[in-house]
Amino acid sequence: MSAMLRDLADRFLGRGQAAVTVPALDGALKPNNLLEEAPIGFPAASADNLAVTETGLIYSSEGTLYRQGSCGGPASAWKHVGEPVSALAVSANDVVAIAAGSRILLIGPDGNERAELSVGSQPWAGVTALCFAADGSLLVAIGSARNGLDEWQRDLLDGGCSGSLWRIDLANGRSHQLAGKLHYPNGIAVEQDGGIIVSEAWQKRVLRLSETGKVIAQVVEDLPGYPARISPSGRGGYWLSVFAPRSQLIEFVLREPAYRKAMMAEVDKEFWIAPALRSGYSFREPMQGGALKQMGILKPWAPTRSYGLVVEFNRDFVPVRSFHSRAGGRRHGITSAVEAGGKLWVTSKGGGEVVAIPLAAGGN
Amino acid sequence: MASASTLTKLRYRFVPDHVIGEILSKKWIDNAIPLLVLVCVVAVFGMLIPNFFSGSNLSITSRQLGEFALICIAMMTVILVGGIDLSVGSNFALGNFMTLALLNLADWPVAAAVPTVVLICGSVGLLNGVLIGYLRLRAFLTTLVTLIIVRAVVDMLLLQYVQAMSTSFYQSDIWDLIGLGGLFGIPFSFCVLIVVAIIGHVLLTRSRPGWRLMAIGGSRRSAHNIGLPVRSTVCAAYTISGMLCGLAGVLYAARLSGAGSDTGIGMEISALTAAVLGGNSLGGGRGSIVKALIGAIIVLIMTNGVLRLGLNSGSGPMVLGLTLVFAVFIDVRWLKNRDKLLNKVYVSPTYIELPEPVSTAAGAGNALALNDRLRDVEIIGLAAVESPEDVILDEDDYLYCGTRHGDIVRFAPPDYTSHEVYAHIGGSPLGMGWDKDRNLLVCVGGMGLYKIDRDRKVVKVTDETNRSTLSVVDDSRLRLADDLDIAPDGRIFFSEATIRYEMHDWPVDALESRGNGRIICHDPKTGKTHTALRNLIFPNGICTSQDGQSILFAESWACRVSRLYISGPKAGQVERVLDRLPGYPDNINRASDGTYWCAIMGMRSPALDVALRMPSFRRRMARRIAPDQWLYPNLNIGCVIRFNDRGEVLESLWDQGAENHPMITSMREHKGYLYLGGITNNRIGRIRLDGRDKTWSSFRSYWGGPNVRHAS
Repeated sequence: MSAMLRDLADRFLGRGQAAVTVPALDGALKPNNLLEEAPIGFPAASADNLAVTETGLIYSSEGTLYRQGSCGGPASAWKHVGEPVSALAVSANDVVAIAAGSRILLIGPDGNERAELSVGSQPWAGVTALCFAADGSLLVAIGSARNGLDEWQRDLLDGGCSGSLWRIDLANGRSHQLAGKLHYPNGIAVEQDGGIIVSEAWQKRVLRLSETGKVIAQVVEDLPGYPARISPSGRGGYWLSVFAPRSQLIEFVLREPAYRKAMMAEVDKEFWIAPALRSGYSFREPMQGGALKQMGILKPWAPTRSYGLVVEFNRDFVPVRSFHSRAGGRRHGITSAVEAGGKLWVTSKGGGEVVAIPLAAGGN
Repeated sequence: MASASTLTKLRYRFVPDHVIGEILSKKWIDNAIPLLVLVCVVAVFGMLIPNFFSGSNLSITSRQLGEFALICIAMMTVILVGGIDLSVGSNFALGNFMTLALLNLADWPVAAAVPTVVLICGSVGLLNGVLIGYLRLRAFLTTLVTLIIVRAVVDMLLLQYVQAMSTSFYQSDIWDLIGLGGLFGIPFSFCVLIVVAIIGHVLLTRSRPGWRLMAIGGSRRSAHNIGLPVRSTVCAAYTISGMLCGLAGVLYAARLSGAGSDTGIGMEISALTAAVLGGNSLGGGRGSIVKALIGAIIVLIMTNGVLRLGLNSGSGPMVLGLTLVFAVFIDVRWLKNRDKLLNKVYVSPTYIELPEPVSTAAGAGNALALNDRLRDVEIIGLAAVESPEDVILDEDDYLYCGTRHGDIVRFAPPDYTSHEVYAHIGGSPLGMGWDKDRNLLVCVGGMGLYKIDRDRKVVKVTDETNRSTLSVVDDSRLRLADDLDIAPDGRIFFSEATIRYEMHDWPVDALESRGNGRIICHDPKTGKTHTALRNLIFPNGICTSQDGQSILFAESWACRVSRLYISGPKAGQVERVLDRLPGYPDNINRASDGTYWCAIMGMRSPALDVALRMPSFRRRMARRIAPDQWLYPNLNIGCVIRFNDRGEVLESLWDQGAENHPMITSMREHKGYLYLGGITNNRIGRIRLDGRDKTWSSFRSYWGGPNVRHAS
């Protein structure tokens, strides 16, 4: 009863659960333009899923995988998968796991399927991240059981918590669920001791799970954006891609069920008040007060639905530095980032570009 | 669902939410809580005490009130200037004693004794005033000292003269009238109070000394810095306080005709309680006679009531003390939170359901389909002008625009590279128009309607209209005059976009989407201004129709254009011309072929359209999140459309990237070119129009003139 009263009072006064506060970009997250102004960039529609192999990098552009030398140079098409690739992982012995549509393919370095490995007979739909564990088993993150991958905004607005984390023993194809009811797990990394790091997008946090899937700790909480893939950094820490920014308006809409339902029913999803991989391409997108151009200039700190952000954490998950593409920029919707050849390689899914930032550049 | 939305519609139609914010922004709202306390006190004691409302009780109470309220007004005057007067009680006792002494012992006439007493008590006040105002002593300590000294003087005098005074008795009709009688059945002291209160109220709220008093109380240093005579004003406040105490002493003497050592004991506490309880801020600068009166009535009823209820002796001061604590608490909280509250509740959205917009899809094949005809706009005056909301050209092809610095800037033909400040008005010049005599009329946001004559002299045409009968805030002043046009008979019609927001946050009005705007008509022949049409949803562009019978006006947030007949058989009627626009229409101007140009200053976004049907959602949004984060209409891209009198859109001009000329709020066709202005731009644009009359100018379209000046 008292809890109900408190909720009502909170709702009326905008306190507690009803408060819409968004963490500021501060400290190591202080905005810069290093990502937006990074010199190297190759166009690639819906670029995503960067991974490091022994011979270089691979990334996906819709249904095609490309190889890319880690020093630069032109990319070459490597394999056509057919359906858009949703996740990718490379094992220690260069087995490439590819999630596309409702399948997970296992491919050797030569591009042929590895027949001796199996992911079982069940369909694997909605895979958002893959990662090989030290023992060779494959960790699989399913973003949402209720909404397809292209309906991720609906999943957020519906308060989706139907994500799950699985382990597949590739030798025999048996799989079991490590964790369920996750709020859109969107990236996996494995620690030295076998612990599993999972980014939970809708909760804006990163979790540490035990090998068996028990939540041990919340290593990063209250991120200023929605996290995507995690990859190891050269200094023992991690790179975390943040694919969209949080905003007060979105947080507010998440607390307004009536409006949210009406909006989702009547408005095309690219014009929703929801985070986006890219924005500013149509005048029908919602605009916020601070984004009103003055003297023809959009302020870089204007509220925006899309943003480009990669954060480096040290091994204790303290943010060390970050690379930004701010409001009005092109390199938004960063879904994956890997470190190779002295550069940070980044896929801007929103901007349709693969970007490399020389790491000597610093960042703050 | 349908019934729910009908309910919402009705609720927002008939419950005027916006009034709450307007009431909160009034100064007299400070009296609301004291008045409520007063009503409660009257109700409680009225119920507890028998015969409370009887004539005799009211008469006695009001006679006492006459004296006590004068003391409270004295206290209020001093508090208002940022001080405190603790000596009111002993000064009052001194006044009482002196009156009796002068009448009974010295046998002075009343007409001489009363002014003398007022002056004596005034001199005590003057002493306070000199010490505090000129010598800058602490008000609290100084008046505490006067409290003690004056009390001591009174006690000494009493010791000496009380015997003689009690044996003699002064007899006069005037004295009886003051003490026992009254005028028209109203006790005399109460009449005095009414007179003092009225004079005091007028002085405080309508006169220079009163304003200075408040200014000094509000911020002594600022008042000093702007050159107000701080010292003498402070001194005067204490003197007035002393004189009022003397007057109260006279009335007390007339009523009871007795001097005792307990006269006026503890009165400073009661008066202070009353002043603070009434809502006079102890910090100074905020107070009024009404507040003092309310406080006085509350305190008097409570002290008398407690006495009559027969509670034991300590309970009276106890009740008073508790009330004082309560009053100070409320005062502090109110002062701290009033503006916060006002900020939170001022934005009060209402229900509006916009019809489905006409498609703008590039392939739709209609007149509004997206194109890039404005991509190659020529830029004029880049970075030389800021916020040219409207542009206009004269017969010699000079180009004029307003800027947010309050200037009218003029560009010289033929290349428009050189410019000069044509005139400086101030405010934010918005819509412009030529009258018959080639004077430039300008709507200035924040100021009103101004005229620049041919000698570049700036003249105010009007800055007010008739006040609406039922408005809470004074809506007679023009806040946001937006665009104007002139009828053939010389009447000037202009729009005031909103009466609830200032120039700098006009887009917030879109969140409300209420009919906050109006169309105002000024007739230069009579010099009169009146409101022609009210409750319009952000009326913006105004254009006299080609036949001169009506004016076309755009209602921005309603995405429509309507027509108001100004002469002919349908005069006064309004009819819809253009509806279902995909964006927010701004200025309208005549085109060379008998049609009209209309600027679309921003585009509708479907997410906002849904929110417009949910006023409570928008209200919560305005309260919960920062203004920068509010969902706004998209004012970063617009277009120009051309339509005819039948309301058919004939063509549209777009720049999809909106890079060259980001925003469009107005356009003028002039000799084959279209000139563009935009309120958030730092440039003017122009584009050549193909196949248009290269001799046509807007001025000639209105006022005639030589048909062909430059053969083309």
